[in-house]
Amino acid sequence: MDTLLLARLQFATTTSIHFLFVVVTLGLVTLLVGLQTAGFLTGKPVYERLTRFWGQLYVINYVLGIATGIVMEFQFGLNWSGLSRYVGNVFGAPLAIETLVAFFLESTFLGMWIFGWHRLRRGVHLALLWGVALTAYASAFWIMVANSWLQHPVGYELRDGVAHLTDFGALLTNPTLGFAFGHVVAAALLTGGMLMAAVSAWHLIRRTPDFDLFRKSLRIGLVTAALAVTLVQGFGFAQFGPVGQVQPTKFGAGPERDALVAEWTARFGPGDYTPPALANVGLGFMILIGFTLGCVWLLLPLVWRDWVIRLRFPLWLILLAVPLPFVAVILGWIAREVGRQPWVAYGLLPTGQAVSPVGPGVMLTSLIGFSLLLGTLAVTNWVLLVRHAARGAHDPALGRPPEPETDPRPRTVFA
Amino acid sequence: MELAWYALLGLFFATYLVLGGYDYGVGLLLARRDSPAARRAALNAVGPFFLGNEVWLVAAVGILFGAFPTLEGELLSGLYPAVIGALAGVVLVTAGVQLRSRPTAEWARAGWDRVVVAGSALAALGWGALLAGLLQGVPLRADGHVDGVTHLFTPFVAAAGLAMVALVAAHGATFLTLRLPAADAAPVARLARRLVPVAVTAVGAATVLGLLSDRVRGAAQQPLAAVLLPLLLVAALLVARTALGRGRPGLAFAATSAALALPVALVGAALWPWALVSTVEPAGGLTVADAAASGPTLRLLGWLALPLLPALLGFQAMCWWVFRGRIDGRAPVYW
Ligand code: HDD
Ligand code: HEM
Ligand code: HEM
Repeated sequence: MDTLLLARLQFATTTSIHFLFVVVTLGLVTLLVGLQTAGFLTGKPVYERLTRFWGQLYVINYVLGIATGIVMEFQFGLNWSGLSRYVGNVFGAPLAIETLVAFFLESTFLGMWIFGWHRLRRGVHLALLWGVALTAYASAFWIMVANSWLQHPVGYELRDGVAHLTDFGALLTNPTLGFAFGHVVAAALLTGGMLMAAVSAWHLIRRTPDFDLFRKSLRIGLVTAALAVTLVQGFGFAQFGPVGQVQPTKFGAGPERDALVAEWTARFGPGDYTPPALANVGLGFMILIGFTLGCVWLLLPLVWRDWVIRLRFPLWLILLAVPLPFVAVILGWIAREVGRQPWVAYGLLPTGQAVSPVGPGVMLTSLIGFSLLLGTLAVTNWVLLVRHAARGAHDPALGRPPEPETDPRPRTVFA
Repeated sequence: MELAWYALLGLFFATYLVLGGYDYGVGLLLARRDSPAARRAALNAVGPFFLGNEVWLVAAVGILFGAFPTLEGELLSGLYPAVIGALAGVVLVTAGVQLRSRPTAEWARAGWDRVVVAGSALAALGWGALLAGLLQGVPLRADGHVDGVTHLFTPFVAAAGLAMVALVAAHGATFLTLRLPAADAAPVARLARRLVPVAVTAVGAATVLGLLSDRVRGAAQQPLAAVLLPLLLVAALLVARTALGRGRPGLAFAATSAALALPVALVGAALWPWALVSTVEPAGGLTVADAAASGPTLRLLGWLALPLLPALLGFQAMCWWVFRGRIDGRAPVYW
């Protein structure tokens, strides 16, 4: 079997799983910051309970974000050593910045936040969550800088076939960066908002205890989703302009595409320089999903006098819509990434040259092994998430107050 | 400039082995047939530090990619089996530790604990094998690529992997001696005292196999460092054993920490000025200077790292300070 195909399959599988979890991380952490800050300012216990309940789901979800993220990071070196060899001088910088500026602090803060309930002062504890959120956004930003550079390499010069950094600022003003970052962040908020609304809807449908709590989070989720879906649509359509301009081969035919293909043929030899047809199929569905989810605006007026809850069918609609944002984010990335084929760095480094010269046997073992491992963990993680979501907010393990007793031995009654 | 970055890379990876090492050590010790409460307590001793420990690895690989892109590609793909073993281990431990207490059923928790044990063993084996693979040189061809993966399967690599497992186990037990409630610390201290000689034996065996191996002798550029640092490692372990015997767990932990950091220093110093030594072509290796990113990239990262490092270390120190001391049964537990 072809190592290139195997390496691509592995990258696509791992990133897709990674992204299914980090959109939720990014969306939920924003909502959590709002909840905990509201609790801090108003002192109302309902906000603390909401923070603990959604925080618990957030932390469970986070596990797979880390596990898949670490595999992603290593995959560049394992399977794509050509990438680091030819463009590592430029592409590596934003990745290094991401790990130092964002991940390092994010994980340190999160560990303290999880274990800091009832131990740290409330202001410090809140500040830690703000730190987690800001660094999560920073990580999304820097990874998008790296990805946008692959979409449209800028700020470099070639010497002996190796790219060297000349203008770091150009990486930050990359035309493929701004709208894409806005679109991704808005998509994450949309996903987080939908998830919050849907879990609340389930509890309201089942008439579990805690009506007030879930009524509140239903409202928060719906409003967030509505605002976010508009941003998603705006940034989404805004992307077509700059992306179509710098990547003429992405969205279909035209004289610019033919001119570019002719230029590449002259420089890199004859070959197939158009992306697989598959790339744009998903784009249409994603846009369809974008308009479908736009209908949350129709539900907003029903929040008045709790008609969303009293009519019940809106709750079912919200519940059924939960898979949609997840499908859309994957389709969007397929459009973006498959649409730039056959290049790893558009017009600079062909995908085939970037793959590591390891044997197909090793690559296949790693593909199967990691896909099974991460796939199993992902499914297990979702099962745990669903169980904890269903268990309700009466006593999440996260933030449980310490036991008022003197026996120094740890008790098993926790969690 | 390259030297500073190489040192920083070493510092991050060594710190990861020290901090992640006790996570894996505690993970391995879950294999003992302890009561559920004792296993829970062991994991909560690691608790607040766990996420902050692992991230040293993420940052080390970030530095590797940003500052030494060429090395990143050849090192990771050239030592493929060791890297995927370690990586699978890291993933299993990450997921196992954080998810094990989410189900309430005791059998499910025991199942996750087995995942943590297996993951810890794999991670330690993998990192040990990676360091040994570097020490014995890789078949780097003139075109700059490493040939195949079978070069990794030697007795020296196997012994080094096992030595790393023994090291993290002793380190983990020492950490627990320091962190568990005073009443539970005595049995764990006895265990640590028994594990240290095992680690000494394993390190000794790996050293002997290394001295006997032509490839290791050929690859070592600085024989003095290659002999002195393993001796220092053994000395650190002996200090740890004495300190454990005298009821000084803090000192013992410092000593086992040194024992986990020293292998990284050993690899860096023994191969210097090379980062990768080639076993097939004398001049075919990769020097630290060649492996580094070009000037503008290093300068950019340097301006960034200077103000950032104090902040990174400061927040880690804050985490250690806030959660210092022995755990007590009343602290909220989460893992
Ligand atoms: C909740 C998820 C979601 C929804 C509802 C939409 N998108 Fe999207 N889209 C993404 C999530 C996403 C994404 C996963 O976040 C992508 C992948 C890379 C990126 O920049 O965002 C993406 C990529 C992406 C691209 C490809 C950019 C490129 O190739 O560089 C375009 C043109 C659009 N989107 C446009 C739209 C439009 C016009 C939408 C509807 C009105 C829309 N998207 C809804
Ligand atoms: C292909 C490139 C990617 C790589 C190499 C990568 C790498 C990583 C790594 C190593 C982690 C774990 C950090 C830790 O230990 O805390 C992580 C987590 C994260 N990633 Fe990625 N990532 C990639 C793509 C993305 C994208 C596209 C986004 C979003 C736009 C993203 C957002 C995040 C966030 C928010 C986290 C932290 C939260 C969590 O762990 O759930 N990543 N990533
Ligand atoms: C998390 C969201 C992402 C998803 C779902 C995603 C999806 C994909 C898919 C489906 C492919 C395979 C395309 C093909 O080979 O036909 C791919 C390839 C690739 N992507 Fe991404 N991607 C994501 C983020 C990123 C980021 C942030 C980067 C860079 C930092 C990146 C870099 C790459 C590279 C290097 C390849 C391999 C070379 C190639 O096949 O083009 N990806 N990705």
